[in-house]
Amino acid sequence: MTGPVVLTVTRDFAASPERVFDAWLDPAVARHFLFATPDGEMLTCEIDARVGGRGLIVERRTSGDAHHHLQFEVIERPSRLVFLFRADPAEEGQWTRVSIEIESRGDGARLTLTHDMDPQWAAYEDQTRKGWTMILGSLARTFGENS
Amino acid sequence: MVERLDLTFAALADPTRRAMLASLASGERSVGELAAPHAMSFAGAAKHLTVLERAGLIERRKAGRQQLCRLKAEQLGEADRWLRQWENFWTGTLDRLEAIILEDQKEPKK
Repeated sequence: MTGPVVLTVTRDFAASPERVFDAWLDPAVARHFLFATPDGEMLTCEIDARVGGRGLIVERRTSGDAHHHLQFEVIERPSRLVFLFRADPAEEGQWTRVSIEIESRGDGARLTLTHDMDPQWAAYEDQTRKGWTMILGSLARTFGENS
Repeated sequence: MVERLDLTFAALADPTRRAMLASLASGERSVGELAAPHAMSFAGAAKHLTVLERAGLIERRKAGRQQLCRLKAEQLGEADRWLRQWENFWTGTLDRLEAIILEDQKEPKK
C-alpha cells in the first residue's frame, strides 16, 4: 500500500571517487562517521564488504546502545554502493535501502545518497520504479506559506 | 502517528494526487476543476480525493450543488518534519566523512 518515499542528499568532496567510496567500507574509517554521534562511544564496527555481506555498527549513547545493520547489495568501486539498512528497534523485515552514487567531478567527487524510506521496497527487485525526491519538502513549504 | 504517516505517504505516492494538491495550494477548488486537467471522470477524481481526505491532507465541504476541496497543510508538515530528521541525519554523516577526508589530506600518513 505504501508508496515510495525517497530522500536524496548530494555532497561534493575534494578527494577522488575511490577515496570517498573506500571510506564507506573500511571499518577503520567508517567507525568515525557512519552512525557516529559526537558524544557516543563506538563499540562495534564490522563490515563484511561483499555482495550479500553484512555490517554491524553499534554505538553506546546515553539513550542506550544503538545498533545499525547493513546488508550490501551492490559494490561497484568507485561509483556505486547499495545497501539495505535497518536501525534497531526495527523488525528484521523492516529494511530500507540506501544507494550511493559517486561520480568524478573536476579534481574531486560528487556523492549522491538516496535513502528509500519505504521498508517494503527492500522486497522489490524492480529498479524501474522511481520515487520522487523531496517534493514533499517543497510542497509543505509552499502550503505553509498559504495557510 | 507512524500509521498516519503511512497514509500520508501512500496518498502522496501518486502523481495525479500530487497534481491535485499542487492545484489546491493556490486555493479552494471544486471536484470538477480538480478532475479537468487529468481527463478523468468525476467518480475517478472523487476516489483520489477520498484517499487525500483519509490521509488528512484535504477537507471537503458542500457549496450548493458543488463540492469544494481545501488543503490541510498540518499533516503534510508532520510528514515533512519526519523526512527532514532523516535528511539531517545523512547530512551529518556526510559532514563527518568530509572532515575525515580533509584531515587525512593535511597529514597523508594515516
